[in-house]
Amino acid sequence: MKKLALIGLSALLGLSPAAFAETPKELRVGLEAAYEPFTYKTADGQLTGFDVDIANALCEELQVKCTFVEQDWKGIIPALNAKKYDAIISSMSITEERKKAVDFTEKYYNTPARLVARADAGLDGSPTGLKGKKIGVLKASTHEKYAQKAYAPAGATVVPYESTQQVYLDMVAGRVDATVADSVEVSVGFLKKPEGQGFAFVGGPLQDEAIFGQGAGIAVRKGDTALRDRLNAAIQAIRANGKYQAIQDKYFDFDVYGG
Amino acid sequence: MFDGYIGHILDGAVITLEVAFLSLLVATGLGLLGAALRLSHNRWLSRLSAWYCITIRGIPDLVLMLLFFYGGQILANQALEKLGLGERFAFDQFISGVATLGFIYGAYLSETFRGAILAVPRGQAEAGQAYGMNKYQVFFGIVLPQMIRLALPGYTNNWLVMTKASALVSVIGLQDMMYRAKEAGSATREPFTYLLLAGAVYLAITSVSLLLVKWAEKRYSVGVRLGEVS
Repeated sequence: MKKLALIGLSALLGLSPAAFAETPKELRVGLEAAYEPFTYKTADGQLTGFDVDIANALCEELQVKCTFVEQDWKGIIPALNAKKYDAIISSMSITEERKKAVDFTEKYYNTPARLVARADAGLDGSPTGLKGKKIGVLKASTHEKYAQKAYAPAGATVVPYESTQQVYLDMVAGRVDATVADSVEVSVGFLKKPEGQGFAFVGGPLQDEAIFGQGAGIAVRKGDTALRDRLNAAIQAIRANGKYQAIQDKYFDFDVYGG
Repeated sequence: MFDGYIGHILDGAVITLEVAFLSLLVATGLGLLGAALRLSHNRWLSRLSAWYCITIRGIPDLVLMLLFFYGGQILANQALEKLGLGERFAFDQFISGVATLGFIYGAYLSETFRGAILAVPRGQAEAGQAYGMNKYQVFFGIVLPQMIRLALPGYTNNWLVMTKASALVSVIGLQDMMYRAKEAGSATREPFTYLLLAGAVYLAITSVSLLLVKWAEKRYSVGVRLGEVS
């Protein structure tokens, strides 16, 4: 019996190096379908969104089959490390904290923060133009930090709120003149809604890496540099061949990759 | 209303019911075993059961769920890699969820059952022995039918708590009702609509089970005059 087990074991050992040498034919992608419009589910249960399309484009580039594994956000890193899947493509922001647990590719998008105000207010986005104006922001957000740093010295008043919804309500009510917010959040949550009529982005994307971070990247297991490098190359490839642009145009009418 | 997500969420309700019901079976089995061991005259078996109750009841459900599913998987992967077998063994989400919930609530139920067994007058079991019944005949024929009545209120409590705690399986990626309610809420940006829907379905499940319990209480109270001490 023991002999038999040993033979079985060595047979398996003999097989495994061959299996490792081959490039995997499948990429298992973990994601949480709860972040519209990046990753979400349609009413008939289909996975969809910007992240899903990007993942499919990357798999096509790598010539592997994409298999999606849905995962609750709380367990998304543990499941990666338990090898339930090989990469997380789920709008995960690259942070120093997470870098301790996983390796990240370069960003695949970085939605910029932008200034929003009434279209006919005559603002051009320059700090001096905001002198004497009130800017509503989400309390303790990166956007509040930016407003304090860029606009407060020029004479604007920064008004912190508990939620972005309250900021939008007070913009409509005229109690604040402008807001600094994530371009996607403010676009979907306000500008495209009826109450957002007459409001528009003012000026270009706001850039400050120290405040806004590095954007969203693909997480792989620590030390899985082979996969990380292949994914990085694939991101560059879809940026270059226009597939990224096509996917972006499907969901957004502005640049989500960032400078 | 509900933008067509209602079917998606009701499919999740089926998973919630399956998880809750199968976990209850596991927990009942483990609870009876735990109570029997706790009350046995073997000191080591009794201690083993006591430790089971103390540790499992003392650790948050969420922690145990994550530990078993992810921790267990990582350990299994490492063990298999050491043996050179690669990754040939993946923990199933459904089985892991049911096993973990059953294991947790088995600990609570074993205390419920222990209390109920102790509340059946000793004379009942002794009478059975006097008739020449063996240990198992006494337990299943005499003690168990009488303890069910006493255990039912505590048992029901555990069932209700467990039904709701089954939402924890969403942490390990099982798409139960809560998981789907969250998905639908975020896709439509109307979180409360779907949370309320999920809440209503949980309430419906628990209400129906309370009706069943009422019937069972009647059934197992046959021959008991209420208001009498034991």
